[in-house]
Amino acid sequence: MAKAGGLYVPQSNLWERVKTFINAELVNILAVVLFLLLVIFLLYPIIAVLIKSVKDPQGLTLSYYFKFFTKGYYFRSLLNTLLLGFINTVVCLVVGFCLAYLTTRGPLGLRKPLKIVTMMPLIAPPYLFAISLIILFGHNGIMTKAFGIQWSLYGFTGVVVAQTLAFIPLAYLMIENTLRSLNPNLEESAYDLGASEVRIIRTITIPLLAPGILKAGLLVFVMTIAEFGNAAILGGRTPFLAPDTYTMIIGEADFEMGSVLSIVLIIPCIIIFFLHNYMLTGKKFTTIGGKPVASEPRKMTPFVKIPFLFISCAAGLAIVICFGMVLMASFTKILGVNNELVLTHIKNFDSNLAIYNSIKVSLVAAFIGAIIGTLLAYVIVRGKFFGRNFIEMISLSGFALPGTVIGIGYLLAFNAPPLKLTGGIMILALNCVFRFLAVGVEAGISKLHQINIEIEEASSDLGANFLTTFYKIVLPIMFPAFIAGFIYTFMTALVSLSAVVFLVSPGFELAAVRIFDRAVYGEIGNASATTMKLVVIVIFCMVILNYITKKTGFDISQKKGSVTV
Amino acid sequence: MSTNDSMPVLILNDIHKFYDRLEVLKGISMEVNKGELVTFVGPSGCGKTTLLRIIGGFTNLDSGEVILDGKKIHHLPPNLRDTRICFQNYALFPHMTVAENISYGLKIKKWKKGKIQERVEELLKLVQLEGLGGRMIDKLSGGQQQRVALARALSLEPKVLLLDEPLSNLDANLRLTMRGEIRKLQERLKITTIFVTHDQFEAMSISDRIVVMKEGVIQQVGSPIEIYERPINEFIAGFVGFVNFLAGVVDMVDIGFNKATASTPIGIIEFVPERNINVGDKVKLVVRPETINISGSEPTGITNTFQGEVEIGMYVGSLAKYTVMIKGEKFIIDQPNPRETFFKPREKVYLSIPGNIHVLKRN
Repeated sequence: MAKAGGLYVPQSNLWERVKTFINAELVNILAVVLFLLLVIFLLYPIIAVLIKSVKDPQGLTLSYYFKFFTKGYYFRSLLNTLLLGFINTVVCLVVGFCLAYLTTRGPLGLRKPLKIVTMMPLIAPPYLFAISLIILFGHNGIMTKAFGIQWSLYGFTGVVVAQTLAFIPLAYLMIENTLRSLNPNLEESAYDLGASEVRIIRTITIPLLAPGILKAGLLVFVMTIAEFGNAAILGGRTPFLAPDTYTMIIGEADFEMGSVLSIVLIIPCIIIFFLHNYMLTGKKFTTIGGKPVASEPRKMTPFVKIPFLFISCAAGLAIVICFGMVLMASFTKILGVNNELVLTHIKNFDSNLAIYNSIKVSLVAAFIGAIIGTLLAYVIVRGKFFGRNFIEMISLSGFALPGTVIGIGYLLAFNAPPLKLTGGIMILALNCVFRFLAVGVEAGISKLHQINIEIEEASSDLGANFLTTFYKIVLPIMFPAFIAGFIYTFMTALVSLSAVVFLVSPGFELAAVRIFDRAVYGEIGNASATTMKLVVIVIFCMVILNYITKKTGFDISQKKGSVTV
Repeated sequence: MSTNDSMPVLILNDIHKFYDRLEVLKGISMEVNKGELVTFVGPSGCGKTTLLRIIGGFTNLDSGEVILDGKKIHHLPPNLRDTRICFQNYALFPHMTVAENISYGLKIKKWKKGKIQERVEELLKLVQLEGLGGRMIDKLSGGQQQRVALARALSLEPKVLLLDEPLSNLDANLRLTMRGEIRKLQERLKITTIFVTHDQFEAMSISDRIVVMKEGVIQQVGSPIEIYERPINEFIAGFVGFVNFLAGVVDMVDIGFNKATASTPIGIIEFVPERNINVGDKVKLVVRPETINISGSEPTGITNTFQGEVEIGMYVGSLAKYTVMIKGEKFIIDQPNPRETFFKPREKVYLSIPGNIHVLKRN
């Protein structure tokens, strides 16, 4: 009767139509919101630095850059930084390769202990090594006094040693990963055809690992040149870009030159980020499948075993000694000078307050970071709009940006209304959120790739709208990635120094900044105790993360950053 | 028989291997003769690949000996043994060309440049890859990669060639072609070869002798015909093709007339006694599906004929497959070349079981 005259079209009111629109376009709406957040909190600060570096009262100028390249001091700072990065990368790769070879091909009994020692620096902030080197080789250092070693710790070599120890695990992890995925039959075939172990390593292992080693090298290079703490504590009179930016801004309030240094520092980082992510992805040797054969331990020739063991054990020993020094310094009055056991450093009120503040900020950062990371991952994987790859690229780029640059950027960008954040707790949390987004996003992406979109479609088919599907299907599946992102952001924010050192306000001290200050002033006991407290918290987080990894099969240790500061 | 045929070039002597506490090889002993192609076959986890890796030197044995040409080699690393392996995934060096792959071992042995080139050309010709020496590995098809792997393993003229599931990564048609080619090559070069496979039909069609393994123990060693026609236990009988087992008890043996009978659930069956079968023995008759004759009317003058009912009939063209029930016992029958005589379910049929069936003793 009703449809006798023609088609029956249901008339919906405005609210119904808005609801339908939102339901259908929610992914795109979400994408726009997230994109804006990335622009405001990641791109805009960098652009603010760039503008600051080329602007003077009269208009645009390149005079600051001219000053940079003509004044010897600045230019030397660039050369020092690049040289530091280069030496560090080479040493880390060599040591990392030896360690990775031993823990994947070496004697079974040695594999686990060596791996544990190698990974130890991951649970500590990198500047732990600066502190322990001061304890050993500083003016009042144990080695200095006991053996009369006249090693000028403060300067280039000191920084190189501290940085190397700090970044060995990063190189190791990446090389070990590629080494483990190398089909053991390849090396066995070479062995079968008469090759000696040295020859196998030279003609098969290293050539096949080259793309992986190169990737690891690029990452170590970026991390090294961007790292702030070690260079700032141990640099002495030797100029390096990252700590010099700090001196420019905080010491001399020269924002223009500080910006120029930042831009100079960021250029190699961005170049390497692109190299790392896009040029090397295609270069991978694939082999025909077959049953994966576990690499069986084989007798290593002494020509390989002895040097590899020597290098690995030296590195391992150095790491253990450094940890031991900081641990001991936490419980002694002044280690090496007055070895009386005390708890004053541990009980220190200001130190505990700083830890409390750090935890508060890191929790805020972790919560926001995990939510944004999860949503970004969803939008990147499931969205069907133009520019998805661009969003992915920006959200992963945070780890490649030096913390000092982000710090200055936030200082410049959020110092005035409408977005005045300086002096608050949010600015401390937000910079961490966007710098450490990569791991949460990658965790989410890989989790989402595991589930078939048809699961979501089945849910819609059964009558669920987008929100219901997201809430009931997507979130539970992505929860491990959410937790991983949460804990990772928490850990990294907790020990992160390079950006927040620009952003803390008087009266609100963060643990990392406190450690830095105390180390610079030579209050090593206090710095050590605070560092050890951070280490304990990070270990606790690692245990939780490990539990989640085992439960869900999601391995975060293979992801990007490790602990970046 | 020439003297070569019975000369063992490789002797395995009581080999034991443990992974943690799990014993994966439980005392393997056997000999491989010169120029022979021997297949290790068995279900996955039977230890065949471990045994091959022990012969090649990639896995250490826990006790026992590997003797090559009269010399113990089980303590030597792979590079000092005169055996060469072809892995299942070929393990070709992806950063080298075909020629570089093949000449890898020759360079290590410090051959002269000219001689290497000559040898590479010769090997390329042998595996029919003339002119492809300059190709990179990832520009080759699966079959071509297989050939390169073979050429590389043959380059140093090993005393024993080890092939670990060499055909499992090829598609079905190519597998048949390569199977034939490997056999042809092996016979031409008269190279002693050990071939590991999980595919019993591959093993049947390529081997001089087959070693059937299960759970770390050699079950039977024999020619393909021996393995198929005279399996020594139920596992082997069932492993190399489908089989109807019929349990029974021997109730008459007549050596003079070369005749014996056994009573089974479907009735008395007459058969030719193979070994020392005695009255009262509990036996299992091994009846292959293709040996049973099926017909619509009762054949005259043929012993061991029973009436049954077709349960399932599948017409495949070259043959028809049936499930026939006789007195509650289920029989699988392959009827070759059925033409127009295809029996449908519930049709009454007559099955004739041949007299020369294989008999297993039961405990």
